Formats: sequence, C-alpha cells, structure tokens
Amino acid sequence: MLSNTGIILIILTLFLSFLIIYISVVNIKEKNNIIDKKIYHYTFYQVIFSILSFLTLLAGFINSDFSLINVFENSHSDKPLFYKIAGTWGSHEGSLLLWINIIVVFSFLFLIYNKKSNKIFRLYTLIFQNFLILGFLIFLLFNSNPFSKIYPIPLEGLGLNPILQDPALVIHPPLLYVGFVGSSIYFSAAMASLVSNYKGKEFALSIKPWILISWCFQTLGIIAGSIWAYYELGWGGFWFWDPVENVSLMPWFAITALMHSVIVLEKRNSIYSWVVILCLSTFILSVTGTFLVRSGILNSVHTFANDPSRGIYILLLLAIMIFASLIIFFKNNKRETYNFQIQSKETFILINNWFMFFFLISVLIGTLYPIFLEALTQTKISVGPPFYSIVIFPFIVLFLIVMAIGPKISWIKGGYKKINFAIIILALSTFLNFLIFKIFGSYSILSNLIIISSIFLIIHSVYDLFGIVKKNVQFDLSRIISHLGFGLLIFFIGINHNYSIEEDFNLKVGEIKNFHKYQMNFKSLEKNDRKNYQAIVGNFILIDKKKNLKEFLKPEIRVYSSPETLTYEASIKTKIYSDKYLTMSNITRSDYYNIKFQEKPFMIWIWISAIMISIGGFIRLFKKGELK
Amino acid sequence: MFKFFFIYFYILLSLQSFSFAENKKLENEIYKNLRCLVCQGQSVADSNSDFAQTLKLVVKDKIKEGKSKKEIYDFLTKKYGEWIVYKPKFNRYNFLLWFLPYLTIVFGGIVIFILLKKRKNQRTN
Repeated sequence: MLSNTGIILIILTLFLSFLIIYISVVNIKEKNNIIDKKIYHYTFYQVIFSILSFLTLLAGFINSDFSLINVFENSHSDKPLFYKIAGTWGSHEGSLLLWINIIVVFSFLFLIYNKKSNKIFRLYTLIFQNFLILGFLIFLLFNSNPFSKIYPIPLEGLGLNPILQDPALVIHPPLLYVGFVGSSIYFSAAMASLVSNYKGKEFALSIKPWILISWCFQTLGIIAGSIWAYYELGWGGFWFWDPVENVSLMPWFAITALMHSVIVLEKRNSIYSWVVILCLSTFILSVTGTFLVRSGILNSVHTFANDPSRGIYILLLLAIMIFASLIIFFKNNKRETYNFQIQSKETFILINNWFMFFFLISVLIGTLYPIFLEALTQTKISVGPPFYSIVIFPFIVLFLIVMAIGPKISWIKGGYKKINFAIIILALSTFLNFLIFKIFGSYSILSNLIIISSIFLIIHSVYDLFGIVKKNVQFDLSRIISHLGFGLLIFFIGINHNYSIEEDFNLKVGEIKNFHKYQMNFKSLEKNDRKNYQAIVGNFILIDKKKNLKEFLKPEIRVYSSPETLTYEASIKTKIYSDKYLTMSNITRSDYYNIKFQEKPFMIWIWISAIMISIGGFIRLFKKGELK
Repeated sequence: MFKFFFIYFYILLSLQSFSFAENKKLENEIYKNLRCLVCQGQSVADSNSDFAQTLKLVVKDKIKEGKSKKEIYDFLTKKYGEWIVYKPKFNRYNFLLWFLPYLTIVFGGIVIFILLKKRKNQRTN
C-alpha cells in the first residue's frame, strides 16, 4: 500500500516538473511581465506531493512496514521511535528523498520571494531548477527507490547501523542537506542569469539571501558532524581530514568565497563572471561530494552505504550539469571591465577568494589524488592530517591577518590608515602569545605564528565590536561576529592541539595507574541491558592528586544484536576549561582493557566559536533590512 | 581595554597548568600518523582493533630500541606499503600532490596582480 502511494506521489511530482518546464517556456515567449498563475499553482502542488511522499516513507518507518526494502534494511521494530523517525534519512534512498524535498521547496520559495525580479530570469531559474529536480527524481525512481517492495514480507528488519543511532542523526544530515541542496537554487539562478542577461546588482540581490541561508546551514551542519564525530567515534578528535569530511568542506570554501564576492557584485557591479563561476561550482561540488561518498570510492568512516551503480548515475548527472553549465557560461559570458584599486575592499575580498580557492584546491587534490594515483600506477597512498597541516596551516597565518585588516578598508578607494594601530595590536598579540608559552610550555614556530595571528584577529574584531556598540550602528555586526568566531576557533584549536594530554595504556579490573598528576582506578565492570543493546560499563575513578579532586568516568562497550556490532562509547566530562575523555575497549583473549585517556583544554570553546561563525550569518539573515 | 584583555587571558590561561612527558608525545604522534589497515578510515591512535593494538606494541618496541621517527615509518612502509602512513612521501609519484596546491596560490596571485595592474592603466589613461 505505502509503496504504491509513495511511487504515485513521486511520479506526480515528476509529471509536474515536466509541466512546469513546458508552461514556463510558453510563458517566457509572452510579452508581458506577469508570470502565469498556473505556474505558481503547479509549483505549490509539487511541494505538496513531494512532502507527502516523504511523509509516506516516514509512515513506513514509524509502523515498521517491512514490505518496503528500505525499511527492512534500515529499521527494526525494537528500535526507539526516535530512531525509527530519524532512520527515514539514515539510508541512501531516504536521504535522497529528503534531498529532493529540499530542492523542491527551495524552488517554490525562490519563485514566491523574488517577485521584484525580472520575469524571464525567474522563469529560467524555475526551468533549470526543474531540470535538476527531474534528474534527481529519475535517479530516485530507477536506481534508489525508497518505496521498492520486498516479497515475501520479512517479519523483522535488519536494524539501523548503531553508530547512526544517535540524536545527532536527527539534525546533522538535514542541516547539511539544506546547505548543500540550497545551493541548487543559485546554480539555477546563475544559469538563468546568463541566459536571460539579468546581471549586476539585481542579480546579486536576488541570490544573496539564498547564499546566506545555505551558508548558515552548511556551517552548522559541518559543526554538528564534527561534534558528533568527537563524542561518537571515540577518538577524541573533531576533525580528521577524512575524505568525507573534506568533501563537505569543499563546497563550504566555494560558498564562503561566493558570500564575500557577491557583495562586490552588489555594491560595485564588478566580477560578475567570477560570482557566476562560484555559484555554479558550489552546487557542482556538493553533487561531486555526494557522488564520492555514495559510490564508495572513498575509504572513510562514513562509508556505511554505497553501491557502484549509484555512482555511475550520479556521475552521469554530474557530467550533464558540468557540460551544460560550461556551454551556457561560455556562450553567454561577456568580457567586463574591472574597476578597483589595490587598497580597496574589493581587493581584499579578492584576496579572501584567493585563499578560499587555495584551501579548496588543496583539499580537492588531497582527496582525489590517491584515487587517481591508484588508478594509474596501482600504488595506494594515504593523504591524511599531516599533509593538510603542512600545506594549509602556514597560509592560515596570512589569512587571519588579512581577515582582520580587510574589513577596515573602505570601498573603491580606501587605504589602511591605522598602520600604527595594527602594529600595536600585533605587538600585543605577540606578547600574549609569549605569556602563553612561557607559562604553559612551548610549542612549534608555526603554532606560535598561528596563535599570534589569531589573537590579532580576535583583538581587531573585539575592538570593532566595541566600536559599533559605542556608535550604535549594527551594520557590520554579523561580519564581526563571524570573523571573531573564526579567530577564536583557530586560537582554541591551537591551544587545544598544543596542550592536550593523551595516555594510552592497558588495565585490568581493580588495577591502578598513575600518570601526570592523575591516578586512575579501574573499579569495576557491570553489565546492563538496555532497550536495544547490551552495555558493558566500566567504572573508573580519576583522582587529581594536585587538587585532590575525584571524578567518576563510565565508558561503555555496547553490544548491538541487530545488526551485530560493537560500539565504544566514550565517557566525557566537559568543563569550561577542559574536557576529560575516556574510552575503553576489550582486548581479545585477555582480561586487560585498552584505556585511552585524554584531557583536552577548551574543547567546549571550539564548539562555541564555531557556532559563533554561523550565528554571524543568521544575524545578517534576520536583519535583512540592514543590508540595504 | 587592553588591560582588560590582558587580565582576562591571563586568568583564563593560568587556571590550566600542564606538564609534558616528551617520549609519550612521540609515540602518540606516530600512532596518529599510521592508518589502521583493518578499519574504515581510522588511525592507529583512534582504533580499538587488534591490529591497532599490535601495531602500538611494535612502535613502542622500536622507540625503546632507539629508532627515530623516520626509521619507524620506513620500517612500517616496507612491511605494509605506503598505504599505512598518512603523510605521503615526496617522490616521483607524489610530486604533483605536494606541488599543485602551491601552484594554485601562485596562479591566483598572478590573476589578481593582472587585474589590479589593468585597472591602474585604465585609471592613468
């Protein structure tokens, strides 16, 4: 029943896409400035049908309807309701349906919120958007149908991957998808702008809010994923330069560059072609990421669902998208003149783009190079954290300084007048850095430079913050908050990296281990039966010998039966100044347990500063009136 | 205001005090740069697998023998292939990997320089 309903709804959505494209093409030829009412209606129906199809799948998961393969493979009747619901987008098929829902909703919202824009531009955007919708719907129907039936109907499902059974599954994928798929709308808009010759300030204004929305969500999505990895994967890190993490970072670099350069287009009517290239590449990179993850080409913690046949389809879709955008770009792009001076805000935004592009290319090469090398020479290499620290980190130093100085320069013709001010702040940052490493222990030259430059940016931003509070103008608030957040993020990461304590040892129940200023006592083990797994809980007492503080840590080993898996649950004690992180794992044929203890200073501040970056974006979004 | 910052950071940072055990750091650093070959994208430091446990013992022994970081990496690469180290060697095959990112920064710099130069000429004309 559900299967048929779902498929019918998908086909109706598909049919509406064709219809919208057809009517839009007819409507474009009519020489008036009014969009046919029918188009509004059909787009609205499309939203209704696609949301209904998603709800149908959701109903399948809630009722544990195992006649659907997707539900059978990813759910289990014992599973808590919460994870049954989240399981809807826990698989490839379900998340593709979510993806389509977002793309359809964005298409509708763009249509109704852009009434001021040119009619032909709006209709072309709608046409391109519906071509994308078609592409993904056909993919869903023929390759990844979440409504496929299974016969005979199994009595019980296989269960959801335990690593995914976490509250973060509810927020992380939807946030990221809104970010990634949201970029489809300015992909379409950029194509439409090329075709309909709707350029300059109006174009910039029509896409700006959408760039901001998808940027905010993408940022939050990446942070959520990072926090999830921190507590779930049991390694105490938050970023591993894992290929799948990289793939989410690449569109982020492109969109961040875009967010800055679209301001140049709006204010100075310049670098139109570059803005278009960024619009196109943000979405292309998002789809490339999906292709790499879903096809299973990458070796990563995230490869829980892959299938080569999907890869081929996405690759085909990607090829069509790239090909179409190249043709339209080169056919319609005209040469433009650039008018800006060395010391102007435009130049600094270009420099921002220069860095973003460098980060993007470095990550792209680091991610793809091993794949090509293996295909060409059969040598398997790993590109991991050391590569990125060597290539990217030195440039972070310059980037931070430019980020502090850039916004202080005015449009067209500026010049940085406060050289003395900058020198004082630099001296102050150096001094603060000196104090830090004098008191807490030294670190490498690069760490020194990164910490100095991050303090430089922090002081600059805080100074600006006081400035706008004094003058009571809130125009720049969002920029300052985001830049301050970034400065703090790098600062805390630097401190965290240099002053973390890590210990790795084996212990038996009843044993005691002394290290640093701590004493760890492995008190006991207990077994608990929980709702859909069995937990082996270790009771540890950690004594801080200096402060005479006692803390109880309870890491777990979880044994899931459907599917049969072991997961290791870290015990984390978060405090304002540091996190204590403990994991234990069993050692085969031994009474000993492998214990990993970490003390990570300012962990929570890393999250707070990262969230601050995205809050900056949201502030601008809600204060849209300030933009004008 | 600067005084305020000075005091703020001072207080914030004085509340933590750390001490290092230098040789501990070396082995942790090595664990982090080794791929756990039986896992999906995890390093030896992060993994709970038997393979990772064994490899940790090997590394510890080598450090005890007085081997340097490079010697340990070389030993493991010989045994398990280049796949095991997260930092690819700079050689004939990986030349482009290390070189291309810097090429983009040079290229980007040239483009920006040309744009600015062009504009200057336009203005003086």
